[in-house]
Amino acid sequence: MAPTSPHPTRPPPKPARNWPLWGGTIAFLVAMTWWSAHGIGFSLAELFCNAAGGKRLLQESWPPDFGFLPRLIDPFMETIYIAIVGTVVGGILAIPVAILAARNLTLGPIIWFADRNFMNILRTLPDLFWAMLFATAVGFGPVAGALALSVFTIAVISKLWSESLESIDMGMPEAVRACGGTWLQMVQFGAIPQGLQHYVSYALYAFELNVRASMVLGLVGAGGIGMILETQRANFEYERVTMIILAVLVAVLIIEQISESIRKRLA
Amino acid sequence: MNKIKSQGSIRFTDANIVYPNGTVGMKDLNLEIKPGEFVVIVGSSGAGKSTLLRAVNGLNRMTSGRIEVDGVAVPQKDGRELRVLRKRIGMIFQDFRLVKRLTVMSNVLIGRLAHVPGWRAMFNLWPAHDKEVAMQALERVGITEKAWVKASQLSGGQQQRVGIARALAQEPAIILADEPVASLDPVTTHQIMQDLVRINRELGITTLVNLHFLDLAKKYGQRIIGLRFGELVYDGSAASVTDDDFRNIYGRDFTEDDVLDEDVVG
Ligand SMILES: Nc1ncnc2c1ncn2[C@@H]1O[C@H](COP(=O)(O)OP(=O)(O)O)[C@@H](O)[C@H]1O
Ligand SMILES: [Mg+2]
Repeated sequence: MAPTSPHPTRPPPKPARNWPLWGGTIAFLVAMTWWSAHGIGFSLAELFCNAAGGKRLLQESWPPDFGFLPRLIDPFMETIYIAIVGTVVGGILAIPVAILAARNLTLGPIIWFADRNFMNILRTLPDLFWAMLFATAVGFGPVAGALALSVFTIAVISKLWSESLESIDMGMPEAVRACGGTWLQMVQFGAIPQGLQHYVSYALYAFELNVRASMVLGLVGAGGIGMILETQRANFEYERVTMIILAVLVAVLIIEQISESIRKRLA
Repeated sequence: MNKIKSQGSIRFTDANIVYPNGTVGMKDLNLEIKPGEFVVIVGSSGAGKSTLLRAVNGLNRMTSGRIEVDGVAVPQKDGRELRVLRKRIGMIFQDFRLVKRLTVMSNVLIGRLAHVPGWRAMFNLWPAHDKEVAMQALERVGITEKAWVKASQLSGGQQQRVGIARALAQEPAIILADEPVASLDPVTTHQIMQDLVRINRELGITTLVNLHFLDLAKKYGQRIIGLRFGELVYDGSAASVTDDDFRNIYGRDFTEDDVLDEDVVG
């Protein structure tokens, strides 16, 4: 052990704030925002002028049509089913994808590189794209939606989990190796026990995202609550639309509360 | 009394290990360890004790030279041959390296991984024989009553006993212990060292123990090997090792940091 100095050293003075850098960053952000708003024809003035039309729409949308509520149950369950299938299928497929993408566990630089790129492709393309792709293969509907969400789930879980796997303590995996374990056993007995809590937490998080994404996919024909929303909107049934939005809001809040409380308990 | 085994010999021939950053971990090592020996390796921090131990089971690869276990060269790449060798070499770590959330039994069964078909281990379908071997290993370190307790609930000394039991479950010819008592209190330290000596006597398993406490080395070692900058600087019996020898191994006078029981110094 190095002997500790008897006199505690003073901390170095706090470095001065870099004002030119801060000023430059803020100016850049302001300019970017102005330029982007201009680009899409967004202006606060127009927003106020359209307020009258908005007010009429709001009046037509109120009160919500509570009588429509029972007819929401089946589509809502369909939305949940799509989310569950997507989470389970994607969650299982994400396991090998995440492990092979973790630098400390992967099987070699080539496999690591290929897997990383595979993950990036999955993540780069939006879920709507995957829904369209699967729709052309199996037709528009819940199955295409669930497949799209599976891909989305692989992307979400593998990204988060591979990073958390990279920070595990490699002592235990080495101990498994040292007693003659194979790579798979090193992963199963040395690495997974340390990463399990994170995995469950990320899977629940993916499920929350999937419930919301599954509603959006419904808008483009994947079934479920999103599809009902779209048909009612197209028929100008705004009081029903309000009902749907309210129901979705409550349901999503409940699901997220449950999922979050499980995740908290795991952490 | 002694069950003499003919297995567990180790021979280093001109072995060198240079780490990628240029650090010399092992320098021209020539060393022969006979079956059933109890060898304590001493040296200051960074002397190459861990490097030596980890070369025996191929966790560290050589830059040049040769290491043989029972006449068979230690494979220098991953694969079946290396796993076959490691199956017969138990390893004990300073930080125990247990799966904290699993039971003691599950941890000890990890020592059986290389002995059973892969699918059995994967689905936790251990043959009765292997469970029996694991239980006997726990018996030998005297903690059978903890078999179904979670590893996280054990004291440090108990956790290290589980570590020893896991090594024993391998039915090894060699045990490598890398500073097995460095994170334990003095009383537990002596208990664990006594366990290791007793197991060595009872089963004739060749045992290599890294220690950085001089008095422990002298007390429990049969043969002492001294390392300095990766080089062998001492090799002799623990009975005849002198303070001068230790000074030479450490390259300096030793202080109370180098011994466990401070009253030994002076
Ligand atoms: N993976 C590694 N990469 C680079 N240098 C290492 C590595 N492992 C050990 N060393 C260096 O090799 C020397 C011997 O290390 P080690 O065998 O761990 O010593 P000891 O166990 O006696 O403390 C030290 O100088 C150490 O810093
Ligand atoms: Mg060491």
